[in-house]
Amino acid sequence: MTDRTQAPLPGPPRPYHFPHITRATLDNGLRVLVAQTHNAPLVSMRALVRSGADHDVAELAGLASLVADLLDEGAGSRDGIRLAEDIGLLGGALSTGADWDASYISVDILARYADKAVEIFSDIASRATLPEDALERVRTERLNDILQQRDEPAIIAAKRFSNLLYAPGPYSVPMGGTTDTVARISADAVRNFYGQHFIPNNTSVVVSGDIDPANAVKLVEDALGQWQRGNEPGRPKTSPRPIDSNRIYLIDRPTAVQSEIRIGHVGVPRSCEDYFPLSVMNALLGGIFNSRINLNLRERHGYTYGARSMFAYRRNAGPFVVAAPVRNEVTTESVQEVLSELRRIRTGDVEERELGDTKSYLMGVFPATVQAASDIASRLLDMELYGLPQDYFDHYRENIGAVTKEDVERVAAKYIDPERAVIVIVGNAKQVREPLGALGYPIEELDIDGNAIA
Amino acid sequence: MLNLEQYELGNGLRVILNEDHSAPLVAVNLWYHVGSKNERPGRTGFAHLFEHMLFSGSEHVGNNEHFRYVQSVGGMLNGTTSFDRTNYFETLPSNYLALGLWLESDRMGFFLPALTQEKLDIQREVVKEERRQHYDNVPYGTSFERLLNLSYDPDFSYHWPTIGSMEDLEAASLDDIREFFGTWYRPDNCTLTLVGDFAPDEAKKLVEQYFGDIAPGGTFPEFDLQRRPQGAERREVFASPVQLPRLYRLYHLPKMGAPDWIYGDLLSTVLAADKASRLDRVLVHEKQIAQDVAAYILPTEASGILMMHATARDGVSIDTVEQAIDEEIARLISGGITDDELTRARNRAEIEHAHHLENYDERADIIGMFTTFFGDPEVVNTWLEPYANATAADLTRVAAEYLVPENRATSVFVPSN
Repeated sequence: MTDRTQAPLPGPPRPYHFPHITRATLDNGLRVLVAQTHNAPLVSMRALVRSGADHDVAELAGLASLVADLLDEGAGSRDGIRLAEDIGLLGGALSTGADWDASYISVDILARYADKAVEIFSDIASRATLPEDALERVRTERLNDILQQRDEPAIIAAKRFSNLLYAPGPYSVPMGGTTDTVARISADAVRNFYGQHFIPNNTSVVVSGDIDPANAVKLVEDALGQWQRGNEPGRPKTSPRPIDSNRIYLIDRPTAVQSEIRIGHVGVPRSCEDYFPLSVMNALLGGIFNSRINLNLRERHGYTYGARSMFAYRRNAGPFVVAAPVRNEVTTESVQEVLSELRRIRTGDVEERELGDTKSYLMGVFPATVQAASDIASRLLDMELYGLPQDYFDHYRENIGAVTKEDVERVAAKYIDPERAVIVIVGNAKQVREPLGALGYPIEELDIDGNAIA
Repeated sequence: MLNLEQYELGNGLRVILNEDHSAPLVAVNLWYHVGSKNERPGRTGFAHLFEHMLFSGSEHVGNNEHFRYVQSVGGMLNGTTSFDRTNYFETLPSNYLALGLWLESDRMGFFLPALTQEKLDIQREVVKEERRQHYDNVPYGTSFERLLNLSYDPDFSYHWPTIGSMEDLEAASLDDIREFFGTWYRPDNCTLTLVGDFAPDEAKKLVEQYFGDIAPGGTFPEFDLQRRPQGAERREVFASPVQLPRLYRLYHLPKMGAPDWIYGDLLSTVLAADKASRLDRVLVHEKQIAQDVAAYILPTEASGILMMHATARDGVSIDTVEQAIDEEIARLISGGITDDELTRARNRAEIEHAHHLENYDERADIIGMFTTFFGDPEVVNTWLEPYANATAADLTRVAAEYLVPENRATSVFVPSN
């Protein structure tokens, strides 16, 4: 008979090593990182330009992301359609994008065509044509996107939350811009952004997958070795708004059957010295399925399909936020439960077992998250973007393992403040306004653009 | 070529092993051959609600302990439900293979003793929130549900989506759960796939140890899954709080894996997959009348589905968009497709298949799918052959035969204000 009463014991752990990283820096300052794997006949190429929407001035919000959208609309001798056709003929997928910290070019390709794909990839990085007719089309697409977002409760909540946390400037206005700012962006502004930021000494190229590292470096050097260096851009700063006490911001969505809740404040930058204790603390608090906030709101109360907390680690301090969509009737209770979890974790009430479980989760899951070439590429991009040490991923698990109960309690008390938080609710105001009053916090009603409603 | 070993336990459990030591991980994946197509009217959403219940503990595993056991050793896990199947999976450090098998066998064989009304009530609320979050509280959220309602007659169980209706979720009882478990959750209705870092002999011993003594079940209930031809296009216009009008279409195809389904897959790439695809190029790039356009097929077992949707730009009528789509389909049928278009579509299929095999968890999942739907895990190794052999004429013929009004349903969302 099989003994089912006890969980079976594990066998001896098998060793895991992050793939070896080959590094090179070209004469023009371009950094190249290559990690070879053999899981699949695929290669991922990424260009990381270390400037993103954080460089947008408030009046031109959306510029960096619009430039990113234009990158694959023409490069070298190819127009946008031709780029898509030629990448498709090589069995590849091409995408471009920007976030707050950086701009990206991504090509995932069948390994046998990697050499040909490097040419297209390099053209986009160094010889994008940014055609004016494409700018007008992409601008109209963006304005339509912004229009559609007016119906998306999660997006409305995220936009309001960021805007309340930061004064005008980076992280405050949406990365994609607003109707006004997008309308204002000129072809000159697009060309200037590209010219200033898309330079080799502000860029890293990452290649991962089924490719010989020396060959990969040579391909990149042949294609981008002549790219002209420029002046490295400065690093913009954010302006967090001071928060004195908890305040509820209610945005009415009369058709809502759920409230989108966001609770939080400004968090920490990626360079925070407490990154590892914070990673463990947040996972335990609300970062994973079996975390306190999710178990409370979902599994104990059935208020939500899922609730999460997160620190948005960026170059400057991004938000700390708890997010939960809950049905209208339990909006107040859910806010109350989240705040009480935030208070509880600051009081030193951390059990050894949950701490051990959380640490083993973060340590154990790491190899499973870096199997695919594209996942390995993402990790290398993180290294480059945030200046992580060369052996960072070799020691990642040890660093998690070293976090103590005292560390978790210390960083919770230091970085989480449930008495000075912004509480955003996008929901059915008629139904939730009165119950929310019971929490005793001031309630301000805003329209979906953030204007106060008298 | 993946090296696969397949066998069956005495109780009918199909087991597929794919040994691979490139990472110290093992993927444990179970496909139960039951989904929303095995529901009856009045009990919709049940297969999916049941999936939630299966995470709430079994005789030897406490409530919420399933997640804890897996996450606390560094595992990832989840489950999903579709029309045709319910899958449960975890990726574990490979020295915890026995833990995964213990957990999965406990809920396959010893689920009922741990079932309580309280657990059902909580998960019912969670699923209702899932429905609100993904269907009822977001723009176009009910589009798929509406399209299914339109495309399939009420006696064909693709008529409703896996999430089910609020009323039916409300009505689900403990007895329903017990009956559903007894009918479908059994070794002879399941494929267990292991991919990764294990010694096959040892893995087989463990599989026998944990699953060998679970009893098979009786006969399976009959489901009539022969779809009657529509005869004419089915259409509806639905006013809803959205900013931009959007058109949804469902075209019927043969079952997944049939040659015409494969050609339909390639055809969907020719139509709308990237900037160079026909519909993207004409609607978004040249005429600039659509905000987006998409065409794709779903991996369905009982009847094939090619989906299409397109959003009109602000100020453009959805009729203009629909007319342009139909013109492009007509042009494709009369003018054929180019060799380059075919090559790009084949390449895309190849790279997507390669991506599925790259991670152990996804690899185990598609092996489970091929075994469940086609009875043969080796299909994973031959899957791309019909794609490679497809001709331009095959695609054009499939367009002419299937992309016609009498074979489709069209649901149009228009702004209500």
